[in-house]
Amino acid sequence: MPNARDLPRDRPDVWSWHAPGPTGVSTLDLSLHVEPLVLGWNRALSRVEEPTVDSVRLIEPPLEVISVKVVPPSVPVRSFTFPEPAPLDFPAQADSTVPASPKGIAGWTAKRDAAATRPASSTRIKPPGDVIKLADRLQYLLQPSLESLLAQRSLEFPLRPFAYQMEGVAFLYPRHAAILADEMGLGKTMQAITAIRLLLRCGEVRSVALICPKPLVSNWQREFSLWAPEIPVLAIEGDQAQRRWQWRLPTIPVKIANYELLHRDREVFESRDASGRAEVRFDLVVLDESQRIKNRSSVTHQAACAISRRRSWALTGTPVENTPEDLVAIFEFLLPGLLSSGMKPRRMGRAVRDYVLRRTQDQVLADLPPKLVRDAEVELTPEQQTSYRLAEDEGVLRLTELGESAAIQHVFELVLRLKQICNFDSATGASSKLERLVADLDEVAASGRKALVFSQWVETLQRLARHLACFGPLEYHGRVPAHRREPILRQFRDDPRCHVLLMSYAAGGLGLNLQCASYVFLFDRWWNPAVEDQAIHRAHRIGADGPVTVTRFLAVGTIEERINRILEEKRELFETIFPDAAHSCRLGLSGEELFGLFDLKFPGGPINKAA
Amino acid sequence: MSNARPKLYLGFLTVVDRASYGLIGGYLILNTAGRPLEFHCTTPVRPSRAQQILYGPTLEPYLFGEQIGQSLLSKAKLEPLAVCTDRVEVLAVREYTAVPVALVLPPEGAFVAPTAGNALTSAAGGESGAPANSPRSPAKQWRPDTAHLRPRLLSFSLGRNRLAVAEDNAADRQRIEERLASVAESFDLGEPFGRIREAIEEASGSR
Repeated sequence: MPNARDLPRDRPDVWSWHAPGPTGVSTLDLSLHVEPLVLGWNRALSRVEEPTVDSVRLIEPPLEVISVKVVPPSVPVRSFTFPEPAPLDFPAQADSTVPASPKGIAGWTAKRDAAATRPASSTRIKPPGDVIKLADRLQYLLQPSLESLLAQRSLEFPLRPFAYQMEGVAFLYPRHAAILADEMGLGKTMQAITAIRLLLRCGEVRSVALICPKPLVSNWQREFSLWAPEIPVLAIEGDQAQRRWQWRLPTIPVKIANYELLHRDREVFESRDASGRAEVRFDLVVLDESQRIKNRSSVTHQAACAISRRRSWALTGTPVENTPEDLVAIFEFLLPGLLSSGMKPRRMGRAVRDYVLRRTQDQVLADLPPKLVRDAEVELTPEQQTSYRLAEDEGVLRLTELGESAAIQHVFELVLRLKQICNFDSATGASSKLERLVADLDEVAASGRKALVFSQWVETLQRLARHLACFGPLEYHGRVPAHRREPILRQFRDDPRCHVLLMSYAAGGLGLNLQCASYVFLFDRWWNPAVEDQAIHRAHRIGADGPVTVTRFLAVGTIEERINRILEEKRELFETIFPDAAHSCRLGLSGEELFGLFDLKFPGGPINKAA
Repeated sequence: MSNARPKLYLGFLTVVDRASYGLIGGYLILNTAGRPLEFHCTTPVRPSRAQQILYGPTLEPYLFGEQIGQSLLSKAKLEPLAVCTDRVEVLAVREYTAVPVALVLPPEGAFVAPTAGNALTSAAGGESGAPANSPRSPAKQWRPDTAHLRPRLLSFSLGRNRLAVAEDNAADRQRIEERLASVAESFDLGEPFGRIREAIEEASGSR
């Protein structure tokens, strides 16, 4: 087969085949007109290839390079610096009156069975609402917790404060104007003292004036010795020259005075130095029972407002006694201009919200034990002191003269006589216990609560009824006819105007249900704790609406204090030996102890317990 | 010659992650009584997209240490004995200061929620965070760039506190033990961070 390459190129469509010609071969012309159809690569190869070139530009114009510069951004910083106040350290008081055992402490001796196991909390100081500047707000926010501040300053407490009390301290601490308006019995005194103590120790304040009703001056001194024993405290007293010197003493950080002195020494507060500044200035002035200045036109109010000060606090269980104008008057002392007369109560409430802290017993029920027992130590009035000294001296003299024939009965009579003088001075009727009771009942009534007042003498109860007439008192004792007793109890429960029921220990028998009473006052003490407990249980029973605050009056420096001390020691000893025993054990005074009350030797004979 | 004892200061540095704003650093200097003396806080810092890509896993040390930490420390007037932090990322600031830097660990056995603002969601090392065998310990993640993540830590106890330093600055442990010995028992070194966070919140709200 001829190769396609050999085909004539000019006549690709005709071809013939000739057989090779050797001898004997015939030839046949097989020429046929054939028109071959050339397909495929044969046809292609028959053409002269003339490749064409198409140029395609594969590379575009040079790529643009984008450089990303990573520039470290500057980080703006806001900076705040805070002054480091120079803390004040006070040497331990050499004549500290704080007793070693918490149970013997005058003041608040709440039962802490369950409360003692409360975990430690962290109370933060928050900036008050009137602090606007960011730096000032930050300074408060960046303070350590109150507990830490106290621990750092090595401030110890005889009793662990309740959580709500720490909140009260945190409320007072940053404020230049504040009212602590807790219900009575919740420890306003302790909270104020702790806040003052902290401010002094941190160097935030250096001079404090505390103004209170006269019967409470010694109470405040005792409370300071209990809650802030290292802080020097001075009660302003004496003649005018002495008081003028005392007000100006720079070395005593805390000065206590009563409202009457405030008025009498007004010229001290109004005197000015050459540059026009007040000569006597305080970093903090605290008004206890601040409802005393509710009358704006009174000299007491004007005298209080005249004191030059940086911070103003008010303590009261009744910030509004009668009308909202009472609060206006208090705020004239705290923050003049914040409130005005005729202001609508709702608007007033909004305005004072950040300045007033009030907790009721119900609100802090979770923190409180069911029963709070506190001792109200009072000092006898001058008249009572005179009568008391006279009676004691005469009585002791008589006992001495009796010699061997002196019997327990004689001592009993003397003790009872002296106890009666501790209640009321027989000659003048003066009574420091009554003054204190009136102040407390003021708060009770203003809060709408009710109280029981116990005494072992009917005469005392009748006398109290006359003095407490404004509180709607009712009497319940042996001289009340039997048929009148139940109606009296019903009236006490149901009549909102009756705030106090005067009861004798003997009449407070079993079966009485007086759970409506939140406060119990033991005007004079019974020697047998079981009898006192029974009296208290009239109010403090299972199912009571809330905790009961028990106030036990005690005249300082008298037979009452001595008896109380002996019984406390005995109770401690009993509880140490029998920690699970109830308090209904019979604790009394032996003959020796009775005679020992007057530093007399027991003449002899059988030793019988007195009660 | 003054007989007054030299004043001692403690520094506390942390970073708060506020999703809508970014990272805000706060630096608080206290005296040994815990009272504040200086406070510095940054404006919110948000990394750019380029930074996020380019820095990759080193972004956190860069932001927390160099950007925020260094800026804050440089503003302070007082030099503390040590700088404490509750965020492991902040340990990176050690590169820019001669003051030893310690991570404050939670008390032994304390549960720590694995949040963004928490120092203890560390994928590296086993010495920070909740105990490894704790049923609540955060899930471990493995990444190919693990070497760039949070540093390995050396933990130790000092007084009432548990601290840790980066392994690269192991010598800081001794310095911290010497410098903080007098306060370690009474001072809870973890407490101030709560204050810083509150302060940042207050400062942010005031803008």
